[in-house]
Amino acid sequence: MTTTLEKAAEPIADLSPAPRVRQRKARDTSVIILVTIVVIVLLLLIGYPLITLLGAAGSEKGLAALGAVFTDPGNLRIIGNTVLLGLCVGVCGTLVGFLFAYAQVRLQFRGKKALHLLAMIPIVAPPFAVATAVITLFGRNGMVTNGIFGWQADVYGLPGLVIVLTLSFFPVSYMNLKGMLESLDPSLDEAAAGLGASKLRTFFSVTLPMLVPGLAGSFLLLFVEGIADLANPLVLGGDFTVLSTRAYLAVTGEYNTAAGAAYSLVILLPAVLVFLVQRYWVSRKSVVTVTGKPTGTTELIAASSIRVPVLTLVGLLSLFIVMIYATVLVGGFVKVPGVNNEFTLDHFTFVLAGIGSKAMVDTTVLAIIAAPVGGVLGMVIAWLVVRKLGRMAGVMDFIGMLGLAVPGTVLGIGYALAYMTPTTVFGVQILPALAGGSAAFAGGLAIVMVYITRSLPSGQRSGISSLQQIHPAIEEASTSLGAGSGTTFRKVTLPLIQTALISGVTFAFARSMTTLSPIVFLTTPGTKIMTSQILAEVESGRFGNAFAYCTVLIAIVLCLILLFNVIIRKVVFRGRTHRR
Amino acid sequence: MAARTAADTSTIGLSELDEFRTDEPTGRITLRSLTKRYAGSDIAAVNAIDLEIRAGEFVTLLGPSGCGKTSTLRMIAGFEQPSDGEVRLDEFVMNTVPPNKRPMSMVFQSYALFPHLSVRENVAYGLRLKKTPEARLKEEVDTILTIMNLDAYADRAPHQLSGGQQQRVALARALVMRPKVLLFDEPLSNLDAKLRITMRNEIHRLQRRLGITSIFVTHDQDEAMTLSDRVVVMNRGRIEQIDSPDVVYRRPASVFVADFIGRANFLDASAVAMVAPGRMTVHVLGQTIEVSSHPDVTIDSKILLMIRPESVRLSPVEAPVDGADVRGDIGRVTNVMFHGDTVEYEIETASGSIIASVSDPSVSEILEPMAVVRVGLATDRGWVLPATDRD
Repeated sequence: MTTTLEKAAEPIADLSPAPRVRQRKARDTSVIILVTIVVIVLLLLIGYPLITLLGAAGSEKGLAALGAVFTDPGNLRIIGNTVLLGLCVGVCGTLVGFLFAYAQVRLQFRGKKALHLLAMIPIVAPPFAVATAVITLFGRNGMVTNGIFGWQADVYGLPGLVIVLTLSFFPVSYMNLKGMLESLDPSLDEAAAGLGASKLRTFFSVTLPMLVPGLAGSFLLLFVEGIADLANPLVLGGDFTVLSTRAYLAVTGEYNTAAGAAYSLVILLPAVLVFLVQRYWVSRKSVVTVTGKPTGTTELIAASSIRVPVLTLVGLLSLFIVMIYATVLVGGFVKVPGVNNEFTLDHFTFVLAGIGSKAMVDTTVLAIIAAPVGGVLGMVIAWLVVRKLGRMAGVMDFIGMLGLAVPGTVLGIGYALAYMTPTTVFGVQILPALAGGSAAFAGGLAIVMVYITRSLPSGQRSGISSLQQIHPAIEEASTSLGAGSGTTFRKVTLPLIQTALISGVTFAFARSMTTLSPIVFLTTPGTKIMTSQILAEVESGRFGNAFAYCTVLIAIVLCLILLFNVIIRKVVFRGRTHRR
Repeated sequence: MAARTAADTSTIGLSELDEFRTDEPTGRITLRSLTKRYAGSDIAAVNAIDLEIRAGEFVTLLGPSGCGKTSTLRMIAGFEQPSDGEVRLDEFVMNTVPPNKRPMSMVFQSYALFPHLSVRENVAYGLRLKKTPEARLKEEVDTILTIMNLDAYADRAPHQLSGGQQQRVALARALVMRPKVLLFDEPLSNLDAKLRITMRNEIHRLQRRLGITSIFVTHDQDEAMTLSDRVVVMNRGRIEQIDSPDVVYRRPASVFVADFIGRANFLDASAVAMVAPGRMTVHVLGQTIEVSSHPDVTIDSKILLMIRPESVRLSPVEAPVDGADVRGDIGRVTNVMFHGDTVEYEIETASGSIIASVSDPSVSEILEPMAVVRVGLATDRGWVLPATDRD
């Protein structure tokens, strides 16, 4: 007993004559080191590329291009197109997401799990899957439009883009609104019913108003996805040019990076603005009280006045989604999808064993490197934000979230500009060139960095929300028993946020595997990435190969998600589970 | 279920306790003009308090929510940095010592057990951090689990235990570190009423045996009274009174303390004469009586006479008893509340409204509303306070 106490008292003895020392939390050196590392990493991941991009847009050539964006009639039409696309996707995606979420949470029907899975598929699917399938089914020679009805339909342009983007991005809105609907206190519905309101009336007078912030938030997120998407407009845009495709063309076709930066800036500003509004205004308006535990069980709605229309719509949409993904799956096994439907394994041979296999291996390896880094970095940032940073927490949270708020096209151009040449600080080279022809690791490092940047925010989000549910006293108890900040994080916090970590890593992996827009600016002949390979195949009309790529990619993502879960649960946490 | 109840009510294993005893009482805590101001607030949460806690003493910080008691405890633990002033352990200033290096252990209101670790691992956590050899660690953990009557639950997860058991694990986890000071942050307030009393008694016995200096934060006056050597009553960031429980109860330093601890009647009284320092005669309820008074009270003070409800004596009007302790005025019963062990009356008198508590009432003795009674005060129970500081 005495030995331990003397030990504790020893360092104190030196300090006793010193007068009061006022240092807020500054005594925790491990936290200072951690914050410094995180700040440097974030600077390299997001800060430097964005600053370079802003610099390029602010250069003479950039300013000229920027001026042209707002004066040239052609460019104004492009801006108009972009906004129109964003609005349509925002409205349609939110509606579809809401229908799915409402049916899932509130309606009584069989097959809820299937519906949930169906709504989640787009998250693991690469960006071209839907677009290519839609062309195959509904294009000029579409199996449905031409094959069955004999139309020469034109899916290229706005209508096709809206359909494809809605189907690709509605899961965002679905997840958002599902969470909100689930946390709505069912006693509110009961109260309304007790006051004599019918189910339909309750829906319009109680449920819907409570969801307004959620609906607005979903709309904004989808609006940004709509204006920032590059992949689908490239394939499906036709004459309908949007800002992202224009920027892509400027950089890769005209080699005019300053103009690319200028176009990027025009996408970046509304995207970040919408993100800010969504984060800090809509979320504050939210009247839904999230207590963390269900307050009761909702009685599922069986009334046909609501069930029949909602389920009919959801059923039709589901059918459509199933058809699309079935096309993706089947399309890989036929000679020329929609034209020559003869069975073949050529496409899969190409992807799995032929020239395409390099892309498969490269992409998977890079994503596997990036996912744990992104997931853990997200958790560390979340921990710093929730527990350690006080007033600076908001700043770090915002910078971390930029990876999501900044459109992929913009990020890619920023990377291409910033890391085309070696990075130097005060004349000392700290990084070799990461992008362009002479890039280190053939661009692999830059791609991993982009993957981390893009996937970090989701881990950060889930980390923050799960940390906020852990009572600070649990960490203080660890401190009180003699653990420093680092030990507490490792031994107590991390195991408690394992679910968030798993989902963070999983999502990071899925997101990395399916990311396209920033990657197209960074791939080099030495590194092949599946998504950009799919783009190449689609552009040259080899849909079969594209479908095979998509199927393989989805399969890899699903397999590795499963594997990640097992590894993290069984190895890292040794099967320890807990209930809170 | 039966097993759980039995374990909850069982007492701790006192025979093993001696292993944990210290040769001499540990840890003297000194607070010097300790102050805490939170960012964005002009009012100090803790306002320049001075406090000396003797080694081995059990001190309770008692007060309403927001009085600064928890902030004070957290500054002692090191979870909050003082804005001003200092915390000393023995002769060492602790201000710059991080919380994990202070030889103190805290027991939290929410228990704060690590949900991902078993009971045994929860208790072993701190020892593992100290790199205690495995054999010694096992021995220490086993001993403390036995003392706390938790052997049977060693391999369970915290969520499989009842509230009382969880609290004992939290206590075991703190004790196994052999701290110089034990800090309790409202540890009993999540328990139901009966269990709270059981745990209160266990903590009391344990602390008396071990002689570890203990600081206990609570807003429950019963806990403060039964556990403490001294009670520190706090209000608005300041200490109102530091005294033993009986003095705090019988001779509160202010109207606030009188009101916060137990219940009190404040009667308008007028000073008649100072008999001696701290003794005076006052006129109240139509009588002149001699009572003890607050040191600040002078013959010219505007005064209030504090009397606890149980010190009010009632007798029939028509048969005034001459007994020394029942004198006084006529009053009318306006409200009757039956509690079982006591019955309480609200009585209107010329000196103001009085609450009287009569213990062990029989059915025939209970007065009806509107009944007229003679109201008197028990001998030497009254306490005179200056009236000015009532807020």
